[in-house]
Amino acid sequence: MTQDSFQERIWNPPAAVPPGTGGTVAGGRVTVAPAAKIRVRDLNFHYGRFHALKDISIDIPEKRVTAFIGPSGCGKSTLLRTFNRMFEIYPEQRADGEILVDGENILDSRQDIARIRARIGMVFQKPTPFPMSIYDNIAFGIRLYERLPKPEMDARVEQCLRQAALWDEVKGKLHQSGTSLSGGQQQRLCIARAVAIKPEIILLDEPCSALDPISTARVEELLKELVRDYTVVIVTHNMQQAARASDYTAFMYMGELVEFGDTATIFTRPSKQQTEDYITGRFG
Amino acid sequence: MIPLRSRRRAINAFNLTMAVLTTVFGVFWLVWILWTTLSHGIGALHLSLFTQDTPPPGGEGGGLRNAFVGSLILLALAVAIGTPIGVLAGTWLAEFAARRRLGSVIRFLNDILLSAPSIVIGLFTYAIVVDPGGHFSAFAGGVALALILIPVVVRTTDEMLRLVPGALREAAIALGTPYWKLVMRITWKAAASGILTGVLLGIARISGETAPLLFTALNNQFWSTDLARPIANLPVVIFQFAMSPYDNWQKMAWAGAFEAMAFILLLSVFSRLLLRRGIHRS
Amino acid sequence: MKASEAAIAMQNGAPSAGQAWRFPADPLFRKLTGGIALLVAATLLAILIALIGEGWHALRVFGWRFLVTGTWNPVSGQFGALVFIVGTLISSIIAMLIAIPVSFGIALFISELAPRWLRGPVSTAVELLAAVPSIIYGMWGLLVFAPRFAQIEPWIDDHLGAIPGLGVLFRGPPMGIGMLTAGIVLGIMVIPFIAAIMRDVFLVTPAALKESAYALGSTTWEVVRHVILPYTRTAVTGGIFLGLGRALGETMAVTFIIGNSNNLAASLLMPGSSIASVIANEFTEATSDLYKSSLLALGLILFLITFVVLVFAKLLLLRLERGAGSRP
Repeated sequence: MTQDSFQERIWNPPAAVPPGTGGTVAGGRVTVAPAAKIRVRDLNFHYGRFHALKDISIDIPEKRVTAFIGPSGCGKSTLLRTFNRMFEIYPEQRADGEILVDGENILDSRQDIARIRARIGMVFQKPTPFPMSIYDNIAFGIRLYERLPKPEMDARVEQCLRQAALWDEVKGKLHQSGTSLSGGQQQRLCIARAVAIKPEIILLDEPCSALDPISTARVEELLKELVRDYTVVIVTHNMQQAARASDYTAFMYMGELVEFGDTATIFTRPSKQQTEDYITGRFG
Repeated sequence: MIPLRSRRRAINAFNLTMAVLTTVFGVFWLVWILWTTLSHGIGALHLSLFTQDTPPPGGEGGGLRNAFVGSLILLALAVAIGTPIGVLAGTWLAEFAARRRLGSVIRFLNDILLSAPSIVIGLFTYAIVVDPGGHFSAFAGGVALALILIPVVVRTTDEMLRLVPGALREAAIALGTPYWKLVMRITWKAAASGILTGVLLGIARISGETAPLLFTALNNQFWSTDLARPIANLPVVIFQFAMSPYDNWQKMAWAGAFEAMAFILLLSVFSRLLLRRGIHRS
Repeated sequence: MKASEAAIAMQNGAPSAGQAWRFPADPLFRKLTGGIALLVAATLLAILIALIGEGWHALRVFGWRFLVTGTWNPVSGQFGALVFIVGTLISSIIAMLIAIPVSFGIALFISELAPRWLRGPVSTAVELLAAVPSIIYGMWGLLVFAPRFAQIEPWIDDHLGAIPGLGVLFRGPPMGIGMLTAGIVLGIMVIPFIAAIMRDVFLVTPAALKESAYALGSTTWEVVRHVILPYTRTAVTGGIFLGLGRALGETMAVTFIIGNSNNLAASLLMPGSSIASVIANEFTEATSDLYKSSLLALGLILFLITFVVLVFAKLLLLRLERGAGSRP
């Protein structure tokens, strides 16, 4: 797909304008749109008989922060979980359609699941430090893919902790348990752990919902740093957070993608009534 | 006629008083038993208990050294056989069969096994180990105790692993961790203090078991650490000595009972503290 | 409300799909642990088969009469289980008559009456007492309780023995040991066990139910009688049967004090035997194949009786678990 057609799709809600049919540019300021890192095509998702995602098509741009917002149960977390095939570990959860990461369909069962998950990191709602030392929390993931001599491993761990803006706080106690850190520190440790395996994409599922405002601010700053190297996708129920921290915003409702565009446009001139109702707080 | 309200109050007061009285009644017997064991046991405590072997019938002096060592060997054997089996089976129940019908069936059967009479376990071990082998042995005793330990460990492992948050598993899976590594490196570690508690409670349970040893490990008046031969052990020695008419033997039975009880109660208290700390931390 | 989506997505606890493992060692790990779990569950079946196999000799010689014959004579090679089956049942019934009301009182005390500071200690004490090995109960019964009980047995003989009809049960020489003593000690032994289960069960009753009954002006007893007991009835029964299963199979507490007589006496003051006690006493002395096989057949009978009782108990307890899970 060319840059041009991507640009068109960015400005037009993909759900409203199916791929390939074109559409008019909805206006607004025109920037050089980046290439798409993840392309979702006609994705449907079922929990048993419950149809959780309905014909989702969306292009997620590379090295930008894309936020998914919407009321609870709208399917935003579910969508995020299809990007690394997390749903697969549960019975009766099923995804149909295509999710192309750099052109490869990761839903294809022939894909190497370890490689997919190495390329796509994930951070969860609640901090999930492993029951081991701070150092081992980071090294655990690295050891899954690489054999590093001790000095190199030390350097990698330090680099990841620096990237997650945690180094200065933990450098003296790397061998203490990861669970001894505060909630905000734990979440940054999880981010450090996710970047340690050098992914291309980082998925964050409401990463700040269990954090206090100060820790939240630190994580948001961190996103701005991370986006230089990674494609970041964040699910949040906090609209201010989406407005502050993301470049693009997608609004979902009842398993459908209602509107997708650059964050400024979505929050100032949404084209759909539902989106406007949601961001002005009339429901949800 | 008594007014309804005071009648209801009277019934209430009567029944609640009965509850308090039955509690006192129940606690009375139990305190009596503990007190007897304590007073007789401490009276019979002597250093020679740990340095000398069991005396012959009617003999003076002697100790319980061979019985203590024999019991420790049997416990070690049971733990060595029972813990890996119990932990692995419990792991399957928690990690792979949480919502499967086969999982609930096995969980149910394991609970039945947990409550099965220990003498039946002893007979079973006799049938599968002693009878084919042709003689009683310490090894058979260890197997019998392991069979009692296993369901305890299965159950606690299963319960403790199910307390490990799903998010922790997802976080590891998101890194691309193979499931076996996730279990061995992360969920076992997260549930370690709980699983250890299960093993300790299991040890507390089997260290007083007498019936299953009567026709497996049997008893041995002499010092022996040979796994292929009968071995002295505390519970059977207590049984034999307490039933005997000899004063010296009866005294030793009390001392042994006191040791066994102190060991079991300390182990129970310790494992409870461990569990509380483990839960507190997670 | 926020949690709902994550809850659907995560389904608390461990995942359990079959096809998601793409790592070569994963199916192996799953099969290994699953195989061992199956093995553990199959132990029950193995016990059944082994005991049938070992007891087959006796069962073939005596047939169904093994169950209803009261003779047990190693010298003449005549073996029947009746005396021991009856002894097992009677000692367990006496034990339950003592243990049920006392355990109920203790559970009620812990869950509803005790002041907060007393609740923990009493609760822990009960649990610890459940851990005291049965051989200690047996020893205490033989060396401490029986001699004292022998002193009140004449009184029992004089007073209860004089009751027309029922009196037969309470006549006999004051020996201290016997069926009644065994039943009492067995009862004391299962008290902490049943009390702990009943307490757990009572504590499951939703606070909202209790509070709404109190709000109507109910007394504590009325809340117990009309809210807690109906809510927990099946599980309380399950707990009682679990205790019964334990009493039926108990060996050491009984063997010391039941008296080990192979005859059936009408009086509870007379010595008797239970299945477990006769096995414990005679197994290593059994010289002939038929003798040994008869003892193993007794073990089979004990296994079958306790199995039925335990299955029944667990099914009743499971019902509360499910019920408590589905109720708000």
